[in-house]
Amino acid sequence: MKVHLKYNYPQLTKKIIQDKLSELGYKFKIIGFGEFVFLEKIPTEKMMELTEQFQEYGIEVVENQKSVLVQKIKDVIVEMVNSEIPLNVKSSVHIAEKLNLSYVHLSSIFSEVTYTSIENYIIIQKIELAKQLIINTDMNLTEISIQLNYSSVAHLSTQFKNNTGMTPSAFQRIIAKRKEFTNNNS
Amino acid sequence: MKDVQLRNSTIFLKIIFVISAAVIFFIAGITFKHITVLKKSSKWVEQSHNVNMELERLISYLKDAETGQRGYILTNDKSFLTPYTESKTLIRDSYKKVSALTENSRTQQANLKNLLFYINKRQNYLSKTLYLTQQENYDKKILNNYLIIGKSAMDSVRTKIENMMSTQQNLLQNRQEDYKSTMNYTPLLIYLTLLVTLVLITISFIKMNRDLVKLRKTINTLSVANEASNLAEVVGGFGSWQYNLETNEYNFSDNEYRLLGVKPQSFKPSLEEFLKFVHPDDIQYVIDNAKNIPTNSILPPFTYRIIRKDGEIRYFRTLGRVVTIASGERTHIGTTSDVTEEVYANKFIEDRNRELESNNKELTAFNYIASHDLQEPLRKIETFLSRLVTKDYSNLSKSGQQYVTSIQSSAQRMRILIEDLLQFSRTNKTEKVFEDADLNSLLENAKQELTQIIEEKQAIIESSELPTLKVIPFQIQQLFINLIGNSLKYSKENRTPIIKITCSKIVANDDEFLPNNNMKYHKIIVEDNGIGFDQEYVKKIFILFSRLHNKNEYEGTGIGLAICKKIVENHQGFIFAKGVLNQGAAFFIYLPID
Amino acid sequence: MTTEYINICLADDDQDDRLFFTDAFDELKIKTKVSTFNDGVELMNYLNDADSVLPNVLFLDLNMPKKNGLECLLEIKKNENLNDIAIAIYSTSSSEEHIEETFINGANIYIKKPSDFETLKKILAEVVTINWQYHTSGLNKDNFLMRM
Repeated sequence: MKVHLKYNYPQLTKKIIQDKLSELGYKFKIIGFGEFVFLEKIPTEKMMELTEQFQEYGIEVVENQKSVLVQKIKDVIVEMVNSEIPLNVKSSVHIAEKLNLSYVHLSSIFSEVTYTSIENYIIIQKIELAKQLIINTDMNLTEISIQLNYSSVAHLSTQFKNNTGMTPSAFQRIIAKRKEFTNNNS
Repeated sequence: MKDVQLRNSTIFLKIIFVISAAVIFFIAGITFKHITVLKKSSKWVEQSHNVNMELERLISYLKDAETGQRGYILTNDKSFLTPYTESKTLIRDSYKKVSALTENSRTQQANLKNLLFYINKRQNYLSKTLYLTQQENYDKKILNNYLIIGKSAMDSVRTKIENMMSTQQNLLQNRQEDYKSTMNYTPLLIYLTLLVTLVLITISFIKMNRDLVKLRKTINTLSVANEASNLAEVVGGFGSWQYNLETNEYNFSDNEYRLLGVKPQSFKPSLEEFLKFVHPDDIQYVIDNAKNIPTNSILPPFTYRIIRKDGEIRYFRTLGRVVTIASGERTHIGTTSDVTEEVYANKFIEDRNRELESNNKELTAFNYIASHDLQEPLRKIETFLSRLVTKDYSNLSKSGQQYVTSIQSSAQRMRILIEDLLQFSRTNKTEKVFEDADLNSLLENAKQELTQIIEEKQAIIESSELPTLKVIPFQIQQLFINLIGNSLKYSKENRTPIIKITCSKIVANDDEFLPNNNMKYHKIIVEDNGIGFDQEYVKKIFILFSRLHNKNEYEGTGIGLAICKKIVENHQGFIFAKGVLNQGAAFFIYLPID
Repeated sequence: MTTEYINICLADDDQDDRLFFTDAFDELKIKTKVSTFNDGVELMNYLNDADSVLPNVLFLDLNMPKKNGLECLLEIKKNENLNDIAIAIYSTSSSEEHIEETFINGANIYIKKPSDFETLKKILAEVVTINWQYHTSGLNKDNFLMRM
């Protein structure tokens, strides 16, 4: 019997962290998507143990300050892209405000760590969301382009094609045929 | 049907025959009876007549005796006594005769007895009288007395005889009365019966006549059908055979023999004889199939070879079926056709197919070579050139740099040409799936592929509702991409490109471009307001690699429209174009409605 | 799994193409470790070896002797251990249907081998970085489709 799954990654990761931390027995508090704080001091070996355990789940304990910052930027971007409320300001302004740092500074660190620019990352996230909406909902391209704050459908199509190399409809068709293929072959 | 009618006729005729025979016997019976009655009647008349005659004779004899006696009495001549003496015997005989004749009538017998009494009495007195007269002296008074008594006796005799005669007459009449009724109704009956028989015979005659006519017609039809069937066999090159399931005998038509190359009916039809003509390799196959003839109701067709008498090998196909004919007998009827031409034609087609397949394989191989093996070295050339340019351009001499640049552009041109060629040869029909596709979606996809240019040129694309058709989706999409792409490419500067796509249903007869027939098509028009083209060159634009502009003015290899034409032809359709320089162009696509 | 390097594998029977590939990555700023294989059998042997370091991105040429790219693709997709690898088909031109077929069979990326070295560098950089984004941002790899 075949079962299909969809993952809610924030919820998934939060649960794992909660479970693992509870197991560890030290008091903690979860602050954000990728952040939590220990409310008491924790010995290094325990920390290493925790780090190892997290690694099994693919959870990386970020020690680098720069990486921490980058993660924050990513969080802001993801939230921004996924929110249905349209922005009144440019995204760069929004991010700088949110993190209380200059955009230039943020940009350079982001590029250093992730090999890509913030603008590009925003586009990646938008296209990713577009893909999800195309696959999982009945929304047509016009609706999707509105939700994702594009100036027009054409703009969405162009960016989609630039990013993935194929048109949204080609993408949709291929994903559908792929599902059929894997259904038939398992 | 006719069969049943005929059968009814047979029964009907049998019935009529039986009735007629019965009637005849009946008539014979009646006639016999009638004749018997007649005979009897005449016998009775005769008898009565005889009785009367005898009685007359009797009386005559008596009278003779009387007369003789009288005569003697008058003359005393003894010669007068002769009748008297003779009369005794005669009277006796006569009386005996009458007695014999009236044997069966008691009345007459009684009367006879009575008569005898009186006859005796008369004879008595006659002899008494005679005796008396023979005396010398006799008393006249006694004589008178004797004469008077004698006379009264005679009267009594006479009366008695008359009585007897009338009795006889009555008897006769009574008898006749009996026969009368028989005599009366017999002829009536006979006439009636004869009439009925006449009617029956007439009916039979009419019926038989009709049946005869029908039979004759049927025989005619059969003869004609038989002839036609024989002719059909000769013309159609087949023969027929029958296998009677009751008698286990075969029957071959004339043409069955001719097919084998021998004279019709030149041998007794049988499986063994037929097998003599079958090709040795196929004999077992034929036997295996023929085994089914007595048992199965259908003999499916099977093909085998025979060798004619003249040595020529022919291919035969035999099939058969059991048929139940009128009389209820089951016969297996079959045909044998000479299918040699068909077999050879098939072989020819198979050979051609094989040839085409191998041609196709060669073409596919060429396709592959063009795509992979040719492109590969070209790509290397270009890539290494680009490396050269990146790393060592500055190290080259001026002319060296120029050469390298030229080589690069030529290589690029070559690559594009090969890519286009490849795309053109890929636009074929083999192994492509035709499926129902909404042309509106395909148009949408095409517009998406061209999004960038559409944006750049700020083009407006209007389309009316397109149908859903059975097509090769990728190809129709490519068709739209090529046409709209062209419209965008050849748009007029400073004029917003407007591209209109419309669709309608038309009949070939009514259209300016299509041949005259009644086929129906979807007519899709893609028109733009670009730079257009001179209508003079309308045929040229669809030719592979043919362009109306050089490569510096507008890029392109001249393959787009050639591909469009090929795509449309793959779908059994047509494409035409109309252009006006500096005003725009319109392309007319016709796809059949099936 | 954090590593400093991004692991790249290429399976291609053509010597020149392997050279272009490795040179391109050499010139890119991204930290990568590139391994090349001459044919499908070599590749699968490496991948199936428990000690091997699996690549983040695998570039597969379609036309290879012994085992071609499509066969490798199918085999890899059937193997659960190899599910995390982003597979890029790296090939000379193919028909539309053929390209779509590779996606349907599980490929994430289709790259038509470019005729210009700089273009190659650009393409490879883009592939690797986008893949890295998927990797580090927890995006759904099932939706990772790219055509270059």
